[in-house]
Amino acid sequence: MEKQSGYTWKLGMFVTIGLLLFIMAVYFIGKQQNLFGSTFHITSQFKNVSGLEVGNNVRFSGINVGTVEEIKLINDSSVVVVLVMKEDVRKFIKTDARASIGSDGLMGDKVLTISPGLKSQKIIEDNGQLASIDGIEMADLMKSVKKSVDNVGVISEELAIFSHSMNNGNGALARLVRDDKMANSVSNTLSNLESGTKGFSDNMEAAKSNFLFRGYFKKKEKEKEKKKEELKEKKEEQQEKAAKEKEQKEKELKEQKEKEEKEKQKQEEAKKAEAEKKKSGQK
Amino acid sequence: MILSLKNIFTEIGETSLFAKKFFKEVFVPPYETKEFLRQCYVIGYKSLPLVAITGFIMGLVLTLQSRPTLVKFGAESWLPGMVALSLIREIAPVITALICAGKISSGIGAELGSMKVTEQIDAMEVAAINPYNYLVVTRVLACTLMVPILVFFADAIGIIGGYVGINIHGDVNFYRYLTQIIQSLEFLDLFPATIKTFFFGFCIGIIGCFKGFNASNGTESVGQAANSAVVTASLSIFIIDMVAVQITDLFF
Repeated sequence: MEKQSGYTWKLGMFVTIGLLLFIMAVYFIGKQQNLFGSTFHITSQFKNVSGLEVGNNVRFSGINVGTVEEIKLINDSSVVVVLVMKEDVRKFIKTDARASIGSDGLMGDKVLTISPGLKSQKIIEDNGQLASIDGIEMADLMKSVKKSVDNVGVISEELAIFSHSMNNGNGALARLVRDDKMANSVSNTLSNLESGTKGFSDNMEAAKSNFLFRGYFKKKEKEKEKKKEELKEKKEEQQEKAAKEKEQKEKELKEQKEKEEKEKQKQEEAKKAEAEKKKSGQK
Repeated sequence: MILSLKNIFTEIGETSLFAKKFFKEVFVPPYETKEFLRQCYVIGYKSLPLVAITGFIMGLVLTLQSRPTLVKFGAESWLPGMVALSLIREIAPVITALICAGKISSGIGAELGSMKVTEQIDAMEVAAINPYNYLVVTRVLACTLMVPILVFFADAIGIIGGYVGINIHGDVNFYRYLTQIIQSLEFLDLFPATIKTFFFGFCIGIIGCFKGFNASNGTESVGQAANSAVVTASLSIFIIDMVAVQITDLFF
């Protein structure tokens, strides 16, 4: 009998620990699937469950709160999903919460996500029904991706044609970009234009100083401007603008100068008049 | 050729009859409780160190070996789940059963073989003790019940080995590791694996007893009995495993 008790307790310990391990494993796996503890059920109706399976997790605010218990077809276009959830979270799920199906990572399992509603304060009942949001199907995503890829194809084709004509064509822009002669002639025209505007502004000055010809020159000025604009239209708009700006500036400068000159003349005349007065006084 | 085939079938038939006799005798008193407990102690408790070391090493090695592949797919975080899954579903039951086949089946074969050769079994019959009840039933029953418990130990220690293996390369909290394992497990992983270990245990016991009980007279047949017990038990473990996995696959 003594000999027996020597090993019996060891055997008892061995068996107890072994069975305890098994029971713990069963308990924890069962807890994972919400088999123990109080739970409640929710149903939700989807058009498409995109591969959701029984046993997938249910998430609320990113926390696993339950699992999918049953998935059944009720007619050709709707599927009812039954969820088992922990009783603890029921008070947070209101009647206007929505269920949607998403994916856990790129390769992961499907996950049913419950997103909270906004207005309702009423807690959902056991076996209550949640509204559902239909998830984005891969096929739909691919459709829109295809559309934009097609557009990119058209754009790149046109871009290729454009750059080809820039490099090989004889259009104005292409020649401006490639041809040295063209560039030189453009810069020559520009400098000519500049000197032309200077000469023109001299004429203007002359015309302004002569009131007899004022009307005539004004007409002519307009005609010249028209001609210039026609010339400029052949060139780039920017150049035109620059020329105009320059013209304006020059005009302003000259007007200022003219004013100054007039003032000087007046001053001189005034001086002369004073001097004459003094002379006459001395006399 | 035909003769050897016939021999094999004869042996299978004899083993089946031997097993049938076990089921007949197991419910018939007298129950040899004391002998049964002693056998449980010898088979279960004494095999624990061997099973523990094997389980630890299997968990460790499995983690280290599957790590590079999972890292290649960027799925390193699935390592605990994967290791635990393969340990519980397949590796721990089969490896433990094989270790037990090596240790227990050969032991039973040699013990009963030598008893048979030295005519102790015949002496028991003369002394009005049912040798089948006393020797075979207790051992087979002990095997059938102890091997699953050994497998639970191997599972647990293998998971600890996996934790050590993961912490060689990274740093994972033990609680997080356990959570990941439990998340990846289902009852479907645990129960079929547990049920098949009962069959492994039964198979180990019955083959060891059969080989020992049927040892022919002569000292060398004791060694032969032990040897063929190990070989046949190991082979039948793999066959049972294949059948069990296929049945599980069929239903779930």
